[in-house]
Amino acid sequence: MKQLSIMVDLDRCIGCKTCIVACRNNHGLVDHEKSMPGEMSHYLRVESELSGTYPKLAEDFWVVMCQHCKKPPCIKACPSGAIAKDVQTGIVRIARDKCTGSGKCIEKCPYKVIQFDAAAKFAHKCDLCYDRILHGEQPVCVEVCLADALSFGEREILLMHAEAKGKKVIKKKSTQSILYVKS
Amino acid sequence: MHESKWIPTVCYQCKAECAILARVEDGVVKEVRGNPRARGKMCVKGMAGITTLYSQERLKKPLLRVGERGEGKFREIGWDEAMDIMEKKLRELIKRGEGHKFTYSMFPHSTTDPKWRFVNAVGGFISTGLPHCDSAKIMAHLHTFGCFPNHHIAPMYFTVPKGGVMILAGRHPFGCLDDACVPHDILNAKERGAKLVVIDPIFRVEASKADWWIPIKPGGDAALFLGMCHHILKKGLHDKAFCDKWVREGDMDKLAAFLKDKTPEAMSKICEVPAADIVKLAEMCAAAPSVSVDAFKSIMYGNGMDWGHAWSILLVITGNLDNPGGQPLPEIAPMAPVKPAPPAPDLKELGYHRSGPNRAKFDHYTFFLEPTWYAAQAIKDGTLKVFFASECNPALSEMGSGEWRKAVTMKDKKGDYVLELFVVTEILPSETMKWADLVLPDQTNFERWELLYMPWWYNFGHTAAVCQPVVKPIGEARHANRVMIDLGKRMFPEYFAFKDDVEYYDIELSGVGMSMQKILEGGALWSPGTVGFRKYEDTGKFNTPSGKIELEWRMFKDIGQNWPSPELPLEFRRDADKFPFILVNYRTIFLNNTGAWSQNNAQLRDPVSGLDENPVILNPVDGKKLGLADGDTVTVESATGKVRVPVRFTERIKPGCAGIIHGFGQTMGKVAARGDWVGDNELIADAGSHLDEQDLRGGEAHVSTRVRISK
Repeated sequence: MKQLSIMVDLDRCIGCKTCIVACRNNHGLVDHEKSMPGEMSHYLRVESELSGTYPKLAEDFWVVMCQHCKKPPCIKACPSGAIAKDVQTGIVRIARDKCTGSGKCIEKCPYKVIQFDAAAKFAHKCDLCYDRILHGEQPVCVEVCLADALSFGEREILLMHAEAKGKKVIKKKSTQSILYVKS
Repeated sequence: MHESKWIPTVCYQCKAECAILARVEDGVVKEVRGNPRARGKMCVKGMAGITTLYSQERLKKPLLRVGERGEGKFREIGWDEAMDIMEKKLRELIKRGEGHKFTYSMFPHSTTDPKWRFVNAVGGFISTGLPHCDSAKIMAHLHTFGCFPNHHIAPMYFTVPKGGVMILAGRHPFGCLDDACVPHDILNAKERGAKLVVIDPIFRVEASKADWWIPIKPGGDAALFLGMCHHILKKGLHDKAFCDKWVREGDMDKLAAFLKDKTPEAMSKICEVPAADIVKLAEMCAAAPSVSVDAFKSIMYGNGMDWGHAWSILLVITGNLDNPGGQPLPEIAPMAPVKPAPPAPDLKELGYHRSGPNRAKFDHYTFFLEPTWYAAQAIKDGTLKVFFASECNPALSEMGSGEWRKAVTMKDKKGDYVLELFVVTEILPSETMKWADLVLPDQTNFERWELLYMPWWYNFGHTAAVCQPVVKPIGEARHANRVMIDLGKRMFPEYFAFKDDVEYYDIELSGVGMSMQKILEGGALWSPGTVGFRKYEDTGKFNTPSGKIELEWRMFKDIGQNWPSPELPLEFRRDADKFPFILVNYRTIFLNNTGAWSQNNAQLRDPVSGLDENPVILNPVDGKKLGLADGDTVTVESATGKVRVPVRFTERIKPGCAGIIHGFGQTMGKVAARGDWVGDNELIADAGSHLDEQDLRGGEAHVSTRVRISK
């Protein structure tokens, strides 16, 4: 199976959101002049979970982006055939020229990561920085990660690295192509 | 022709000033990154800097106040008129022999920042734009081991060995105010076997990554460390060889005598850390190959100097000075002076805290800048007449916001403002601007030249860095440095004979065999890459009057403060019945505190990529006791102020504490003004108005506040 992936190391993610802003800048998702809080598209989001009661507490942080599902519901939902899983990389991509803006993919996405451009009426989302990775670069979020919590590569190889470091995959977070690991 | 290139420059979304690269495409900044030559990291604030640069709310022309101070009404004027207003008033002040009543609140980007030169030429003083942060830490280290006085000398986490202990006491290094590579370096140190200990009344992201979280009573840090020192000395676990060689003769015996009754049990009663944990941490530190300590909020309380003193003592007795993983003793790059330089006036003789009715109270005040927290009082006393502010937001950052507003709007019998001229340079609308007479549009780091060589830069990733303009300025914005150089050329041509800022920096760089051109060709950085360890062994001395480490602060013996008090700040020791909660005003990575350029940045106030809320946080146990429901709007009241704000319950805060993020409350700018959030300084008392209760040794540490909460 060919599948590129990002591995999110919960031992290192500090929930700083640097990746979100760097991603927006790179993909031109923000009108720096006029955008207001709450109105900007984003291909990633940070989630966290605090557990326990004072003073015995634990907290994890992680990022959620398109999981590049094995059998993407968005592909099935799209009435115009605009979404496809790239055979070479396993990346799920939306073809903007084919997207009619039905919004069906957004409804069906279990991870709620697909964005909608209301003005131009098209759906868009993380494509693992397809245009960068084709030329040997890493996705922007991986490159800028403040805590080096993200790594990019072939899913199987990332799994091998996780195992070597004694980290376990947290299947509860995702069983798709993005890996969440923790010691 | 289409052009896209990465240009090295420096970030200025906060005071860390990380070296960065900016990708400029056809004259527009599109992306930014950490500069790989300087450890290559950039935080969320830095990434959002492009939004600051291009925001439609940028100030583009000089503005002159047309209404009363506080109304925020202005008319646009030309730069010539603005320069004339400043020149006329300052000449008048100098003619009256009151040059020392001019103060510039700023954040100097180097020890020879051109704005500072201008202030010296007038005969005035600076107060930093970081008014109360950690001067107690600076002064404590300076008094004890002569550490070069500067701000954020964070431990160098990339040097921490396996088994080293990293203590964060009320410190948020993942907030990146030292350098964006700090989080990564702390996590890497942990991976190689260092231990992270977080001492904090709030369980925050650092605590979530820590090996050990120690919730402490706010202000209890001095007691905790004195209890540790007691145990270390009692058990003979201290670094004897180091202490024998470097501590001033007699000081170890005096320390032992002083610590005699500071037992872990006794100290536990003050700091609420179990005595067994004090012993455990002491033994951990004594056995570790290195110990680093960093603090921030905790060093801002009324007992900041005591805490800094206790912390300095622990570093000394465990031999953790200038060693890998310990407390660095940085040096400053030897830049060439630009001659002739105006002499600085003597802060011990003049300055607003020295020339007013309270001057006698400052006999032991040894910090080298004006105490910012005294500015409101100085205006009332008539000893601060002209005030300039750059890159700071005193209307929100000064403790006692109400008193500050009262002072800047005070009028004399003729109906004129007592503070005769108030000038603010700003990039985006700020709360302070609302009260200014003259607002000058400043430039972002993407539009200006600046030479940076402050020694606080974490890990010396860049010993000198050049911030260069990568795009054309927006509107008529001018960098405050250039404005002050131009004003200097008008008023003091002998001190401003150089052509411009770039030539000024060029002269300075000749001191290290560099020039602006050479640095720019070398990636905008000059960094020999060595920090050196145990440099005191090379020189055979520490930078103290005796050349040895001075555990006892003899200069404060006459006021009985030669050894650190373990007590909580005065404000926490009284009125617990009336005001049961201790206010913990904490920080976040998403905002540069009160900085208008981050509070008005849409990406940093976005709920997805930043932070758009600031409720008061309470432990659910306390919420229940008060009969509150999560989300209720409550009244938070201190002895000096009152606010209404939503409450949120969370297990992450120690019972008895109420948490609020420092920096909110701005009403200027449509992004910053969002929501019903409030500034913490509405609740904190103006330290200048109750001097008898302040520790006036030099720590500007006076934020200790108790509050009560009701529906």
